[in-house]
Amino acid sequence: MQKKYKILIIDDSEEILNTYKKFFTKKNYSVATASNGLDGLKILQTEPSDFDLIITDIVMPNISGVGIISIVKKKFPEILIIAITGWGEHPEMLASEAAADLVLEKPIDLMELDKRIIDLIQSKTN
Amino acid sequence: MQNGPPIIGVSPAIVRVSDLINHVADTGLNIVISGETGVGKEVIAQNLYQKSPRKGKPFVKVNCAALPEGLLESELYGYERGAFTGAEQKKRGKFELANGGVLFLDEIGDMPILLQSKLLHVLQSGEFAPLGSEKEFKTDTWLIAATNHNLEDEIKKQKFREDLYYRLNIIKIYIPPLRERTEDIPHLINYYSQLYTSQFNNRSILQPSSRILQKLSEYYWPGNVRELQNVLKRVLVLGSWDDIIDGFDYGYGSSNDVRQKSEQVQTQIPSSNNSIFKNGQAPDLESFSLKEIKKNALDKVEKEAISYILEKTGWNRSRASKILKISYKTLLYKISELGILPPTT
Repeated sequence: MQKKYKILIIDDSEEILNTYKKFFTKKNYSVATASNGLDGLKILQTEPSDFDLIITDIVMPNISGVGIISIVKKKFPEILIIAITGWGEHPEMLASEAAADLVLEKPIDLMELDKRIIDLIQSKTN
Repeated sequence: MQNGPPIIGVSPAIVRVSDLINHVADTGLNIVISGETGVGKEVIAQNLYQKSPRKGKPFVKVNCAALPEGLLESELYGYERGAFTGAEQKKRGKFELANGGVLFLDEIGDMPILLQSKLLHVLQSGEFAPLGSEKEFKTDTWLIAATNHNLEDEIKKQKFREDLYYRLNIIKIYIPPLRERTEDIPHLINYYSQLYTSQFNNRSILQPSSRILQKLSEYYWPGNVRELQNVLKRVLVLGSWDDIIDGFDYGYGSSNDVRQKSEQVQTQIPSSNNSIFKNGQAPDLESFSLKEIKKNALDKVEKEAISYILEKTGWNRSRASKILKISYKTLLYKISELGILPPTT
Protein backbone atom coordinates (compact mmCIF):
# COMPACT_ATOMS: atom_id res chain seq x y z
CA MET A 1 0.00 0.00 0.00
CA GLN A 2 1.09 3.52 -0.74
CA LYS A 3 2.41 5.59 2.14
CA LYS A 4 0.02 8.27 3.40
CA TYR A 5 1.34 11.58 2.10
CA LYS A 6 0.81 14.76 4.04
CA ILE A 7 -0.07 17.90 2.14
CA LEU A 8 -0.85 21.51 2.99
CA ILE A 9 -3.26 23.45 0.82
CA ILE A 10 -3.25 27.27 0.93
CA ASP A 11 -5.96 29.21 -0.87
CA ASP A 12 -8.10 32.20 0.05
CA SER A 13 -11.22 30.65 -1.41
CA GLU A 14 -13.15 28.61 1.14
CA GLU A 15 -14.85 26.73 -1.66
CA ILE A 16 -11.61 25.59 -3.27
CA LEU A 17 -10.17 24.56 0.09
CA ASN A 18 -13.22 22.41 0.85
CA THR A 19 -13.24 20.78 -2.57
CA TYR A 20 -9.51 19.99 -2.42
CA LYS A 21 -9.73 18.76 1.15
CA LYS A 22 -12.60 16.39 0.37
CA PHE A 23 -10.93 15.06 -2.75
CA PHE A 24 -7.47 14.49 -1.27
CA THR A 25 -8.77 13.05 1.98
CA LYS A 26 -10.67 10.48 -0.08
CA LYS A 27 -7.46 9.77 -2.00
CA ASN A 28 -5.88 8.83 1.33
CA TYR A 29 -3.78 11.97 1.84
CA SER A 30 -3.46 13.61 5.19
CA VAL A 31 -4.67 17.16 4.48
CA ALA A 32 -4.14 20.47 6.29
CA THR A 33 -5.56 23.74 4.97
CA ALA A 34 -4.97 27.47 5.44
CA SER A 35 -6.87 30.39 3.95
CA ASN A 36 -3.88 32.73 3.65
CA GLY A 37 -0.10 32.67 3.53
CA LEU A 38 0.50 33.69 7.13
CA ASP A 39 -1.71 30.93 8.54
CA GLY A 40 -0.09 28.45 6.16
CA LEU A 41 3.36 29.48 7.34
CA LYS A 42 2.32 29.08 10.97
CA ILE A 43 1.13 25.53 10.34
CA LEU A 44 4.47 24.73 8.72
CA GLN A 45 6.37 26.15 11.66
CA THR A 46 4.50 24.09 14.21
CA GLU A 47 4.93 20.81 12.33
CA PRO A 48 7.64 21.48 9.76
CA SER A 49 9.12 18.05 9.09
CA ASP A 50 5.76 16.44 8.49
CA PHE A 51 4.72 17.81 5.14
CA ASP A 52 5.58 16.20 1.82
CA LEU A 53 4.05 18.85 -0.38
CA ILE A 54 2.30 22.22 -0.46
CA ILE A 55 -0.29 23.36 -2.96
CA THR A 56 -0.59 27.12 -2.93
CA ASP A 57 -2.62 29.78 -4.69
CA ILE A 58 -0.56 32.75 -5.90
CA VAL A 59 -2.66 35.84 -5.27
CA MET A 60 -3.67 35.95 -1.61
CA PRO A 61 -3.91 38.40 1.27
CA ASN A 62 -0.83 39.03 3.47
CA ILE A 63 1.82 36.54 2.26
CA SER A 64 1.31 35.73 -1.43
CA GLY A 65 1.99 32.32 -2.97
CA VAL A 66 5.27 33.65 -4.32
CA GLY A 67 6.18 34.69 -0.76
CA ILE A 68 5.29 31.23 0.55
CA ILE A 69 7.39 29.53 -2.12
CA SER A 70 10.42 31.74 -1.38
CA ILE A 71 10.16 31.29 2.38
CA VAL A 72 9.55 27.53 2.24
CA LYS A 73 12.37 26.89 -0.23
CA LYS A 74 14.73 28.68 2.14
CA LYS A 75 13.52 27.34 5.48
CA PHE A 76 12.13 23.92 4.58
CA PRO A 77 13.85 23.04 1.29
CA GLU A 78 12.76 19.40 1.45
CA ILE A 79 9.07 20.26 1.01
CA LEU A 80 7.76 20.21 -2.58
CA ILE A 81 5.52 23.03 -3.82
CA ILE A 82 2.92 23.26 -6.53
CA ALA A 83 1.80 26.80 -7.36
CA ILE A 84 -1.61 27.38 -8.86
CA THR A 85 -2.25 30.58 -10.76
CA GLY A 86 -5.60 32.06 -11.66
CA TRP A 87 -6.60 32.33 -15.26
CA GLY A 88 -5.45 35.60 -16.73
CA GLU A 89 -3.06 36.44 -13.90
CA HIS A 90 0.54 36.96 -14.80
CA PRO A 91 2.66 36.05 -11.83
CA GLU A 92 3.58 32.57 -13.16
CA MET A 93 7.04 33.85 -13.94
CA LEU A 94 7.46 34.94 -10.34
CA ALA A 95 6.36 31.52 -9.12
CA SER A 96 8.94 29.83 -11.33
CA GLU A 97 11.63 32.31 -10.32
CA ALA A 98 10.88 31.53 -6.70
CA ALA A 99 11.52 27.89 -7.64
CA ALA A 100 8.12 26.28 -7.33
CA ASP A 101 8.45 22.63 -8.32
CA LEU A 102 5.44 22.92 -10.58
CA VAL A 103 3.24 25.79 -11.76
CA LEU A 104 -0.29 24.98 -12.93
CA GLU A 105 -2.95 27.24 -14.33
CA LYS A 106 -6.60 27.15 -13.28
CA PRO A 107 -8.93 25.41 -13.94
CA ILE A 108 -7.38 22.41 -12.23
CA ASP A 109 -8.27 18.82 -13.02
CA LEU A 110 -8.03 17.16 -9.61
CA MET A 111 -7.31 13.67 -10.96
CA GLU A 112 -4.46 15.13 -12.97
CA LEU A 113 -3.24 17.09 -9.95
CA ASP A 114 -3.22 13.89 -7.90
CA LYS A 115 -1.07 12.20 -10.54
CA ARG A 116 1.38 15.11 -10.68
CA ILE A 117 1.70 15.11 -6.88
CA ILE A 118 2.59 11.43 -6.78
CA ASP A 119 5.03 11.87 -9.68
CA LEU A 120 6.74 14.76 -7.89
CA ILE A 121 7.03 12.97 -4.56
CA GLN A 122 8.24 9.74 -6.12
CA SER A 123 10.78 11.37 -8.42
CA LYS A 124 12.15 13.16 -5.37
CA THR A 125 12.46 10.01 -3.25
CA ASN A 126 14.03 7.99 -6.07
CA MET B 1 14.52 58.41 12.24
CA GLN B 2 16.45 55.27 12.97
CA ASN B 3 14.31 54.11 15.86
CA GLY B 4 10.69 54.11 14.86
CA PRO B 5 7.97 53.92 17.49
CA PRO B 6 6.56 50.52 18.33
CA ILE B 7 3.27 49.29 16.92
CA ILE B 8 0.60 50.28 19.41
CA GLY B 9 -2.78 48.63 19.68
CA VAL B 10 -4.81 45.66 20.82
CA SER B 11 -7.30 45.40 17.97
CA PRO B 12 -7.29 42.07 16.12
CA ALA B 13 -6.14 43.86 12.97
CA ILE B 14 -3.10 45.39 14.65
CA VAL B 15 -2.21 42.21 16.52
CA ARG B 16 -2.36 40.43 13.17
CA VAL B 17 -0.10 43.03 11.53
CA SER B 18 2.50 42.56 14.30
CA ASP B 19 2.29 38.82 13.88
CA LEU B 20 2.79 39.17 10.14
CA ILE B 21 5.81 41.45 10.66
CA ASN B 22 7.42 38.89 12.96
CA HIS B 23 6.98 36.22 10.31
CA VAL B 24 8.31 38.15 7.34
CA ALA B 25 10.93 40.57 8.68
CA ASP B 26 13.76 38.14 8.02
CA THR B 27 12.72 37.19 4.49
CA GLY B 28 13.91 40.23 2.51
CA LEU B 29 10.90 39.77 0.21
CA ASN B 30 9.35 42.82 -1.41
CA ILE B 31 6.54 44.28 0.65
CA VAL B 32 3.71 46.73 -0.02
CA ILE B 33 2.20 48.47 2.98
CA SER B 34 -1.19 50.03 2.28
CA GLY B 35 -3.62 52.13 4.25
CA GLU B 36 -5.05 55.62 4.49
CA THR B 37 -2.93 58.64 5.12
CA GLY B 38 -1.63 58.85 8.70
CA VAL B 39 -2.20 55.21 9.69
CA GLY B 40 1.51 54.65 10.28
CA LYS B 41 2.84 52.96 7.17
CA GLU B 42 6.35 54.22 7.84
CA VAL B 43 6.14 52.90 11.41
CA ILE B 44 5.46 49.47 9.96
CA ALA B 45 8.40 49.79 7.57
CA GLN B 46 10.66 50.83 10.46
CA ASN B 47 9.50 47.86 12.52
CA LEU B 48 10.20 45.46 9.67
CA TYR B 49 13.67 46.94 9.34
CA GLN B 50 14.38 46.82 13.10
CA LYS B 51 13.44 43.16 13.24
CA SER B 52 15.37 42.19 10.13
CA PRO B 53 18.98 41.10 9.76
CA ARG B 54 19.46 44.42 7.90
CA LYS B 55 19.09 46.39 11.10
CA GLY B 56 22.03 48.75 11.46
CA LYS B 57 22.43 49.01 7.69
CA PRO B 58 20.97 52.05 5.88
CA PHE B 59 17.24 52.76 5.93
CA VAL B 60 16.65 55.12 3.03
CA LYS B 61 13.29 56.75 2.38
CA VAL B 62 12.10 58.27 -0.88
CA ASN B 63 8.71 59.91 -1.28
CA CYS B 64 7.68 59.20 -4.86
CA ALA B 65 4.94 61.86 -4.77
CA ALA B 66 7.19 64.66 -3.61
CA LEU B 67 9.43 64.94 -6.66
CA PRO B 68 8.81 65.55 -10.35
CA GLU B 69 9.63 62.66 -12.67
CA GLY B 70 13.13 63.70 -13.74
CA LEU B 71 14.26 64.50 -10.23
CA LEU B 72 12.80 61.31 -8.84
CA GLU B 73 14.75 59.33 -11.38
CA SER B 74 18.07 60.93 -10.52
CA GLU B 75 17.21 60.70 -6.82
CA LEU B 76 16.68 56.94 -7.11
CA TYR B 77 19.48 56.00 -9.46
CA GLY B 78 21.95 58.88 -9.26
CA TYR B 79 23.90 60.27 -12.19
CA GLU B 80 27.38 60.48 -13.63
CA ARG B 81 29.25 63.71 -13.99
CA GLY B 82 28.14 65.35 -17.25
CA ALA B 83 25.03 63.18 -17.62
CA PHE B 84 23.06 66.34 -18.37
CA THR B 85 23.56 70.10 -18.27
CA GLY B 86 24.26 71.06 -14.71
CA ALA B 87 25.41 67.64 -13.61
CA GLU B 88 28.79 68.91 -12.52
CA GLN B 89 29.30 66.35 -9.83
CA LYS B 90 28.55 62.66 -9.82
CA LYS B 91 25.58 61.95 -7.54
CA ARG B 92 24.86 58.67 -5.82
CA GLY B 93 21.29 57.48 -6.03
CA LYS B 94 19.16 56.13 -3.20
CA PHE B 95 19.45 52.60 -4.58
CA GLU B 96 23.18 52.83 -4.10
CA LEU B 97 22.89 54.46 -0.68
CA ALA B 98 20.44 51.80 0.50
CA ASN B 99 22.67 48.95 -0.60
CA GLY B 100 22.63 46.20 2.02
CA GLY B 101 19.76 47.89 3.81
CA VAL B 102 16.20 49.00 3.13
CA LEU B 103 14.82 51.29 0.46
CA PHE B 104 11.44 52.60 1.58
CA LEU B 105 9.45 53.94 -1.37
CA ASP B 106 6.60 55.96 0.03
CA GLU B 107 3.60 56.83 -2.17
CA ILE B 108 4.60 54.25 -4.77
CA GLY B 109 1.18 54.69 -6.41
CA ASP B 110 2.26 58.16 -7.50
CA MET B 111 5.36 56.97 -9.32
CA PRO B 112 5.20 58.00 -13.00
CA ILE B 113 4.65 55.05 -15.33
CA LEU B 114 8.00 55.40 -17.10
CA LEU B 115 9.83 55.16 -13.81
CA GLN B 116 7.73 52.15 -12.92
CA SER B 117 9.21 50.38 -15.95
CA LYS B 118 12.69 51.26 -14.82
CA LEU B 119 11.98 50.07 -11.28
CA LEU B 120 10.59 46.80 -12.65
CA HIS B 121 13.80 46.29 -14.58
CA VAL B 122 15.88 46.86 -11.46
CA LEU B 123 13.77 44.40 -9.47
CA GLN B 124 14.01 41.78 -12.19
CA SER B 125 17.72 42.07 -12.80
CA GLY B 126 18.96 43.26 -9.40
CA GLU B 127 20.97 45.86 -11.29
CA PHE B 128 20.63 49.56 -11.94
CA ALA B 129 22.44 52.16 -14.02
CA PRO B 130 22.88 55.79 -12.90
CA LEU B 131 21.85 58.35 -15.52
CA GLY B 132 24.58 58.78 -18.08
CA SER B 133 26.36 55.63 -16.99
CA GLU B 134 27.12 52.78 -19.33
CA LYS B 135 27.68 50.40 -16.48
CA GLU B 136 25.02 48.60 -14.47
CA PHE B 137 25.60 48.14 -10.77
CA LYS B 138 24.42 45.24 -8.62
CA THR B 139 22.08 46.25 -5.85
CA ASP B 140 21.13 44.36 -2.74
CA THR B 141 18.31 46.42 -1.28
CA TRP B 142 15.21 45.28 0.50
CA LEU B 143 12.35 47.13 -1.12
CA ILE B 144 9.46 48.17 1.08
CA ALA B 145 6.83 50.28 -0.64
CA ALA B 146 3.82 52.11 0.78
CA THR B 147 0.70 53.57 -0.75
CA ASN B 148 -2.63 55.10 0.18
CA HIS B 149 -3.97 54.32 -3.28
CA ASN B 150 -5.81 51.18 -4.22
CA LEU B 151 -3.22 49.82 -6.64
CA GLU B 152 -5.70 47.37 -8.17
CA ASP B 153 -7.82 50.36 -9.23
CA GLU B 154 -4.74 52.12 -10.55
CA ILE B 155 -3.95 49.07 -12.69
CA LYS B 156 -7.43 49.19 -14.22
CA LYS B 157 -6.92 52.86 -15.02
CA GLN B 158 -3.54 51.91 -16.51
CA LYS B 159 -1.74 54.14 -14.09
CA PHE B 160 0.13 51.32 -12.42
CA ARG B 161 1.93 48.47 -14.14
CA GLU B 162 0.44 45.11 -13.37
CA ASP B 163 3.76 43.28 -13.63
CA LEU B 164 5.35 45.70 -11.18
CA TYR B 165 2.37 45.26 -8.88
CA TYR B 166 2.88 41.51 -8.69
CA ARG B 167 6.61 41.85 -8.21
CA LEU B 168 6.19 44.30 -5.34
CA ASN B 169 3.23 42.62 -3.69
CA ILE B 170 5.01 39.48 -2.56
CA ILE B 171 3.84 40.42 0.90
CA LYS B 172 0.93 42.76 1.56
CA ILE B 173 0.42 44.55 4.82
CA TYR B 174 -2.83 46.47 5.14
CA ILE B 175 -3.37 48.81 8.07
CA PRO B 176 -7.05 49.64 8.63
CA PRO B 177 -8.06 53.24 9.41
CA LEU B 178 -8.28 54.29 13.05
CA ARG B 179 -12.09 54.58 13.00
CA GLU B 180 -12.25 50.83 12.30
CA ARG B 181 -10.16 49.97 15.35
CA THR B 182 -11.29 52.41 18.00
CA GLU B 183 -10.24 50.02 20.77
CA ASP B 184 -6.68 51.09 19.96
CA ILE B 185 -7.38 54.75 20.76
CA PRO B 186 -6.84 54.56 24.57
CA HIS B 187 -3.57 52.66 24.04
CA LEU B 188 -2.34 55.18 21.49
CA ILE B 189 -3.26 58.03 23.86
CA ASN B 190 -1.33 56.35 26.68
CA TYR B 191 1.75 55.82 24.60
CA TYR B 192 1.88 59.27 23.03
CA SER B 193 0.91 61.04 26.27
CA GLN B 194 3.99 59.61 27.92
CA LEU B 195 6.16 60.39 24.93
CA TYR B 196 5.02 64.01 24.64
CA THR B 197 5.11 64.55 28.39
CA SER B 198 8.81 63.83 28.39
CA GLN B 199 9.32 65.96 25.28
CA PHE B 200 7.38 69.00 26.51
CA ASN B 201 8.97 69.83 29.88
CA ASN B 202 7.03 67.15 31.68
CA ARG B 203 3.69 68.81 31.14
CA SER B 204 1.26 66.00 31.36
CA ILE B 205 -1.81 65.29 29.31
CA LEU B 206 -5.11 65.06 31.09
CA GLN B 207 -6.40 61.52 30.85
CA PRO B 208 -9.64 61.60 28.84
CA SER B 209 -12.85 60.79 30.68
CA SER B 210 -15.02 57.96 29.42
CA ARG B 211 -17.33 60.55 27.85
CA ILE B 212 -14.40 62.02 25.93
CA LEU B 213 -13.19 58.56 24.92
CA GLN B 214 -16.65 57.81 23.61
CA LYS B 215 -16.54 60.98 21.52
CA LEU B 216 -13.08 60.14 20.26
CA SER B 217 -14.23 56.73 19.10
CA GLU B 218 -17.20 58.22 17.25
CA TYR B 219 -15.02 60.61 15.30
CA TYR B 220 -14.14 59.80 11.69
CA TRP B 221 -10.36 60.41 12.04
CA PRO B 222 -9.63 61.27 8.40
CA GLY B 223 -5.99 61.84 9.35
CA ASN B 224 -5.85 58.66 11.46
CA VAL B 225 -3.07 58.21 14.04
CA ARG B 226 -1.20 61.29 12.85
CA GLU B 227 -4.32 63.35 13.51
CA LEU B 228 -4.66 61.80 16.96
CA GLN B 229 -1.04 62.77 17.66
CA ASN B 230 -1.81 66.36 16.71
CA VAL B 231 -4.92 66.37 18.88
CA LEU B 232 -2.83 65.15 21.82
CA LYS B 233 -0.28 67.90 21.30
CA ARG B 234 -3.08 70.45 21.29
CA VAL B 235 -4.56 68.98 24.46
CA LEU B 236 -1.13 69.27 26.00
CA VAL B 237 -0.94 72.95 25.16
CA LEU B 238 -4.54 73.87 25.96
CA GLY B 239 -4.86 71.57 28.96
CA SER B 240 -8.41 70.55 28.06
CA TRP B 241 -10.08 68.02 25.84
CA ASP B 242 -13.42 69.72 25.50
CA ASP B 243 -12.42 72.67 23.34
CA ILE B 244 -10.61 70.43 20.91
CA ILE B 245 -13.37 67.90 20.61
CA ASP B 246 -15.90 70.67 20.02
CA GLY B 247 -13.58 71.86 17.31
CA PHE B 248 -13.49 68.68 15.27
CA ASP B 249 -16.58 66.75 16.12
CA TYR B 250 -19.15 68.42 13.92
CA GLY B 251 -19.53 67.24 10.39
CA TYR B 252 -17.65 64.03 10.98
CA GLY B 253 -18.84 62.39 14.13
CA SER B 254 -21.64 59.90 13.87
CA SER B 255 -23.51 61.02 17.01
CA ASN B 256 -27.07 62.16 16.38
CA ASP B 257 -26.86 65.76 17.47
CA VAL B 258 -24.05 66.32 15.07
CA ARG B 259 -25.96 64.85 12.18
CA GLN B 260 -29.01 66.94 13.01
CA LYS B 261 -26.95 70.08 13.08
CA SER B 262 -25.63 69.40 9.65
CA GLU B 263 -29.07 68.58 8.28
CA GLN B 264 -30.30 71.90 9.58
CA VAL B 265 -27.60 73.67 7.67
CA GLN B 266 -28.41 71.78 4.53
CA THR B 267 -32.11 72.56 4.64
CA GLN B 268 -31.55 76.14 5.58
CA ILE B 269 -29.35 77.14 2.75
CA PRO B 270 -31.55 76.40 -0.25
CA SER B 271 -34.69 77.73 1.45
CA SER B 272 -33.29 81.19 1.70
CA ASN B 273 -32.78 83.62 -1.13
CA ASN B 274 -29.92 85.15 0.73
CA SER B 275 -28.24 81.80 1.04
CA ILE B 276 -24.83 83.33 0.71
CA PHE B 277 -25.29 85.06 4.04
CA LYS B 278 -24.46 83.18 7.13
CA ASN B 279 -27.52 81.45 8.64
CA GLY B 280 -29.55 82.68 5.68
CA GLN B 281 -30.03 86.05 7.36
CA ALA B 282 -28.91 89.38 5.99
CA PRO B 283 -26.15 90.63 8.25
CA ASP B 284 -26.24 94.04 9.81
CA LEU B 285 -24.02 96.56 8.08
CA GLU B 286 -21.50 96.55 10.92
CA SER B 287 -20.41 93.03 10.19
CA PHE B 288 -20.99 93.13 6.46
CA SER B 289 -17.97 91.65 4.72
CA LEU B 290 -17.66 90.84 1.04
CA LYS B 291 -14.84 88.50 1.90
CA GLU B 292 -17.05 86.48 4.17
CA ILE B 293 -19.88 86.39 1.68
CA LYS B 294 -17.49 85.16 -0.95
CA LYS B 295 -16.22 82.45 1.35
CA ASN B 296 -19.73 81.32 2.25
CA ALA B 297 -20.78 81.16 -1.37
CA LEU B 298 -17.65 79.30 -2.31
CA ASP B 299 -18.04 76.84 0.57
CA LYS B 300 -21.59 76.12 -0.50
CA VAL B 301 -20.65 75.39 -4.10
CA GLU B 302 -17.64 73.34 -3.08
CA LYS B 303 -19.67 71.33 -0.61
CA GLU B 304 -22.23 70.51 -3.27
CA ALA B 305 -19.62 69.50 -5.83
CA ILE B 306 -17.60 67.40 -3.44
CA SER B 307 -20.67 65.68 -2.00
CA TYR B 308 -21.83 64.87 -5.51
CA ILE B 309 -18.52 63.30 -6.54
CA LEU B 310 -18.21 61.40 -3.26
CA GLU B 311 -21.65 59.99 -3.79
CA LYS B 312 -20.79 59.01 -7.38
CA THR B 313 -17.59 57.26 -6.29
CA GLY B 314 -19.23 55.51 -3.37
CA TRP B 315 -17.03 57.54 -0.98
CA ASN B 316 -13.87 56.32 -2.59
CA ARG B 317 -11.88 59.38 -1.55
CA SER B 318 -8.83 58.49 -3.53
CA ARG B 319 -10.86 58.36 -6.74
CA ALA B 320 -12.88 61.42 -5.81
CA SER B 321 -9.72 63.48 -5.29
CA LYS B 322 -8.54 62.49 -8.77
CA ILE B 323 -11.82 63.49 -10.36
CA LEU B 324 -11.86 66.78 -8.49
CA LYS B 325 -8.19 67.28 -9.36
CA ILE B 326 -7.22 68.12 -5.83
CA SER B 327 -4.83 66.21 -3.62
CA TYR B 328 -6.10 63.46 -1.37
CA LYS B 329 -5.08 65.49 1.67
CA THR B 330 -6.94 68.55 0.46
CA LEU B 331 -10.04 66.47 -0.09
CA LEU B 332 -9.91 65.05 3.44
CA TYR B 333 -9.47 68.56 4.76
CA LYS B 334 -12.42 69.86 2.74
CA ILE B 335 -14.63 66.99 3.84
CA SER B 336 -13.86 67.85 7.43
CA GLU B 337 -13.99 71.62 6.98
CA LEU B 338 -17.26 71.64 5.04
CA GLY B 339 -18.84 69.05 7.28
CA ILE B 340 -19.64 66.55 4.57
CA LEU B 341 -20.99 63.37 6.11
CA PRO B 342 -20.48 59.85 4.86
CA PRO B 343 -23.72 58.00 4.10
CA THR B 344 -25.30 56.19 7.03
CA THR B 345 -25.58 52.50 6.29
